[in-house]
Amino acid sequence: MNASLMSLEIWVIALGVVLMLADFGFGLAPERRRFLAYLAIATLGTLLITNLGNYTTGTAFNGSFVEDTLAVFFKRFFLVAAMLVLFMSVEFSDRIAGGITEYYSLIVFALSGMLFAASANDFAMLFVSIELITITFYVLTSFQRGRLISLEAGVKYLILGALSSAFLVFGIALVWGTTGQLNFNKLALVAAQFETNKIFLLGVLFVLVGLGFKIAAFPFQIWAPDVYQGAPTPTTAFLAVGSKAAGFVLLLRVLFTALPDIAKHWADLLIVISGITILYGNLCALPQRNLKRLLGYSSIAHAGYLLLGVAALSVSGQAALLYYLAGYLFTVVAAFLVICVVMRHLDNEDISALAGLHQRSPLLAVTMTLAMVSLAGIPPMAGFFGKFLLLKAVIQQGAINHNHGYYCLAFTALVGVVISLYYYFGVIRAIYWSPNTPDLSPIPLSGPVKFSVCVCIAGMFWIGLFPSVVFNLATEAAKALSL
Amino acid sequence: MHVGLEHYLTVSFLLFGLGLLGVIMRRNLLVIYMSLELMLNAANLALVSFSRFNNNLNGQILVFFIITVAAAEVAVGLALIVALYRKRQSAHVEDLTSMKL
Repeated sequence: MNASLMSLEIWVIALGVVLMLADFGFGLAPERRRFLAYLAIATLGTLLITNLGNYTTGTAFNGSFVEDTLAVFFKRFFLVAAMLVLFMSVEFSDRIAGGITEYYSLIVFALSGMLFAASANDFAMLFVSIELITITFYVLTSFQRGRLISLEAGVKYLILGALSSAFLVFGIALVWGTTGQLNFNKLALVAAQFETNKIFLLGVLFVLVGLGFKIAAFPFQIWAPDVYQGAPTPTTAFLAVGSKAAGFVLLLRVLFTALPDIAKHWADLLIVISGITILYGNLCALPQRNLKRLLGYSSIAHAGYLLLGVAALSVSGQAALLYYLAGYLFTVVAAFLVICVVMRHLDNEDISALAGLHQRSPLLAVTMTLAMVSLAGIPPMAGFFGKFLLLKAVIQQGAINHNHGYYCLAFTALVGVVISLYYYFGVIRAIYWSPNTPDLSPIPLSGPVKFSVCVCIAGMFWIGLFPSVVFNLATEAAKALSL
Repeated sequence: MHVGLEHYLTVSFLLFGLGLLGVIMRRNLLVIYMSLELMLNAANLALVSFSRFNNNLNGQILVFFIITVAAAEVAVGLALIVALYRKRQSAHVEDLTSMKL
């Protein structure tokens, strides 16, 4: 038993409790409440430097909690994401009727769930961490209780989320019932004996259904556009980045730590799901006029690109996936920051609201353009090198296995990128070349917004132009998986 | 007649199937939510019966986790459904249509 490995999680949960009690205890004036958010950001930043600067690897709680390079990579990722989202929610606070402090503390609690997910090495830990994230997100999604679409998004997420957790739990029950193991490492030792056991395979399939919902992969993607559109913008950003990444770390652990022998046989299934997810996301994004809904479909497409790295079943594929996620973090947060600031007074987030943004606020226009360019995968931004690495891993694997499915998958991904250029550049066109620009008043930017926008831009360029640092970290992390 | 593991598992699969059918077929949010609880309890039954017949207590411990999480989920879920009902005066899925393409 080594509880000190969990000190980061304990600190984060304590921070969440303090945030929640601070508002009850002192009855702060509204303008003071934003300092609570800055306090939380400062605490998370300190934890990022002190706690993850020099970490010790090991396992705790009878092997159910593991601290390795993969867990540390994702914990850094989640902390950075939560800090940027907290900056965004300070900017958003005027649109939340009551309980903004609870909003901050719920973000911190969701973060603690993600940190546990990064370290989960046991089906019980997997279930509890995934539920901690999901249940917190039900509340975060429907936080604007006065807006009907926020409530609707919350209920849709609730029903489909509860359905996926029912599948997950039933899958865990079947896997545990047949093998008698909950721990991923112990399961890996015995899983090969059960390759032909139908109940076991059904259980594995159900677990993958539950995780597929988290990452919004086809055919479990139906919730994504509605929830992305209806949820408050900071929630959407956290959902797009944090929740998706948590789904991917659990998927990697289940497939490659717990069931490496089964995963090898399921390459074709993963190839098909990845290809369909890419095409579905990109094709459905084409006619969208609502920017958040468009990004919802684009996030489905990106789940497909990320699944390329899973389907490749190789260390280089997993490293490419982690690298791509790091670039995706800064890109998506940048896009949602711009939406959050520009569409402050609007009821819906129509793309036409971006018209004339280059005159209203050149910084925001540049940020949005860079984010779209990076999402589309154009050099020298982060998205280009990530897609390149993913495709390289897939084609390499195709050459090794002589599996033509991999070549088809690479071709599908390229087709998806070409389709996506259309709608990403539609957004850029709306910014610079809109024929009618009704509102040309300059947009005031507060210091924290400027700071977080600059961090996102710097992140996109840094990961795109100097890939070696993040790529080395990603490769180290991928080696922690046994495949 | 001897009641064995397969009987318990059959009941558990039936409960899971009934719950899934309810989620797909029913139109009332509260009934859908009850069906979801049925699916979770099907998993609990499977875990407990595996636990009993394999002489391994881990499954029963997992059931406690699942019950706790389900209680939290119900607390949040019912609050959400009530909030939606107040806004819309309806708990039917056909009325959840303010977001469309």
